[in-house]
Amino acid sequence: MGFNRKQFRRSDVQTVTRAEGTRVDDFQKLRRKAYLYLMFVHGILILFALGFFLVATNLGYDFLPVAFADGALTLVLAHFAAKISSRFVMQPFHLLWQAILHVAPDSTSVPPPNMQKLLFGRELVTSLANRVYQFASQQDGTELASHRKAISQAANIVSHFPLPLFVFNKDQIVTNASDSALEYLNIKSPQLFGQKLFDSVNLEFQGDHTLETWIKDCQDNKVTDHGEWQRVHVLLRDGKTIKQCDIAAYYNRDNESGTEFIITFFDHTDLYGQDEQSLSFVALAVHELRTPLTMLRGYIEVFEEELEGKLDPELAGYMHKLRISTDQLTAFVTNILNVVKIQENQLALTLVENNWQLLLKQAAAGQLLRAQVLGKTITFTVDAKLPTVAADPVSVSEVVNNLLDNALKYSPTSKEIMVKASVNKEGMVETTVQDFGVGIPDSVIQNLFEKFYRNHRTRAQIGGTGLGLYLSKAIITAHGGNISVRSKVGEGSSFSFTLQPYAQLADELKNSDTSGITRHAHGWIKNHSMYRR
Amino acid sequence: MQDGDHTQQTVVKKVLCIEDEHFINELYARALTKAGYQVKVVIDGEEGLREALTNIYDIILLDIMLPNLIGTEVLKQLRAKLPNLRAKVIITTNLELGKEDRAAIEAQADGYIVKADLTPRQMADFLKQLELTP
Repeated sequence: MGFNRKQFRRSDVQTVTRAEGTRVDDFQKLRRKAYLYLMFVHGILILFALGFFLVATNLGYDFLPVAFADGALTLVLAHFAAKISSRFVMQPFHLLWQAILHVAPDSTSVPPPNMQKLLFGRELVTSLANRVYQFASQQDGTELASHRKAISQAANIVSHFPLPLFVFNKDQIVTNASDSALEYLNIKSPQLFGQKLFDSVNLEFQGDHTLETWIKDCQDNKVTDHGEWQRVHVLLRDGKTIKQCDIAAYYNRDNESGTEFIITFFDHTDLYGQDEQSLSFVALAVHELRTPLTMLRGYIEVFEEELEGKLDPELAGYMHKLRISTDQLTAFVTNILNVVKIQENQLALTLVENNWQLLLKQAAAGQLLRAQVLGKTITFTVDAKLPTVAADPVSVSEVVNNLLDNALKYSPTSKEIMVKASVNKEGMVETTVQDFGVGIPDSVIQNLFEKFYRNHRTRAQIGGTGLGLYLSKAIITAHGGNISVRSKVGEGSSFSFTLQPYAQLADELKNSDTSGITRHAHGWIKNHSMYRR
Repeated sequence: MQDGDHTQQTVVKKVLCIEDEHFINELYARALTKAGYQVKVVIDGEEGLREALTNIYDIILLDIMLPNLIGTEVLKQLRAKLPNLRAKVIITTNLELGKEDRAAIEAQADGYIVKADLTPRQMADFLKQLELTP
């Protein structure tokens, strides 16, 4: 029921006052005391003024000077008296003011009132101050009750939230979670509540931007933030079941309730699972393509061997071209498969120790033949003291093959391709494939490593799929290296990639099995492609 | 051997090729024979297992998609029945297996080759390299 000011009467005030227990006559006593005090002070002043006048006139002084002197002296005395009086009279008010400020939530530290200082009305003022404190504690109690009710409501909402929802604090301890979360992970509440999030929830992310890196970034740098991830794998405790979901997260620093992070899962296991079926379809298609390709390559090799020296140069040249095209088609089929695998996070590489000079030459062997047919030369300049590298031989060979293929394709008139390998300033083994061909325009460079991207200017004249550099980037990144390009139109291009020396991975090797270190090439990778001028 | 006879006898390495595709058998047999190997071709999984258990080979090229008994099962039974098998078993396939399946096969085999990736001569070179590894 609302408060109606018109209905409020003076008697209600007195009634309320009485009901609160503060007696009206206490206030009357205070007023009487103040009256007596002030009367006393005024009386003193009047007596002084009269006394001075009488004494001065009896002593024979003239009336006017005596009157002025009397008035001035009385005024001075009155000033000091008023000053002292105002302090005593205002004291009750001052102490009450102190009491109110002391309990006010938004005030800075104000000391509690000291009732000992009061000359009069101590009982009344103390009683009023007590009322102030009682009222303040009642309010606190009401606020506490409201706060507790709000917490209970929030916990209820979280519990019944229809999606897996996790609430955790700055130490990553789960403080609350929805029933759906327990069901999703197929665990009991003691296995989640009060535990560190990542002890209970096993997540795999595409790329390097994970929930953990985001949490650290928030706590180091942010006041509030949102995060999102797609196609996250959730590995359940049975060690076999994998669910796939998207994740949304919210962070708020120094939340009074202790909650800093809230994350929720959007399950897409069925949807993303269908995408993995596309990998099966591609794998089947690849098998069907590989079989006739195996036959083609095999019989072409037979013809090359049996007809060597027996064919005229023109026909021999045709045979070489046949071989090269078949080799390229085979590589393309593998590229398609690898692109799909990368997208499905299925491309696994095993890094083993390799003599880079040897592997480089082996990888380039196919392109050496092609260069010969095209009338070009590929020269190798490899540092004699290169350390062994950690590489997956098959996939790194693909990178070398791809870069050389591009160099040959985009050098219609120039004759030379240079391959260099050395240790760079960062201690990585850096390999550069340089051509002196058409070069790459600035507008193209930015997108060069994207899937299916091709330079529109050369697209019509030079065959290609736009997959090679995308794959190369994914492979080199999975190796822990970088791939970059430097180019100028009309002068040629220089593609460089780095590989880690095998010795640098000593720690990782200790934790791996004897076959090598397994890395995954992800579809989502940081942009390691750098264009240098 | 008589006194003064300095002829050295070269040990010919024997290869068992278990493969049902006729043209692959023809191509591999030709290339491997040229490279100095003695090649036996079998086109059936069950027959291939019998042959491997009965006779001694240095290298076994084993396809996966075989009639009567698939290559992975041939390998599994071979390892179970001949734990001290001396021959090196190389899986040869054009299938693209999932990473778990591939890892499982590679754990039991001595090599894994995608047939389309190597010409027959390159296969022969690969086997020569394999002989050099323990």
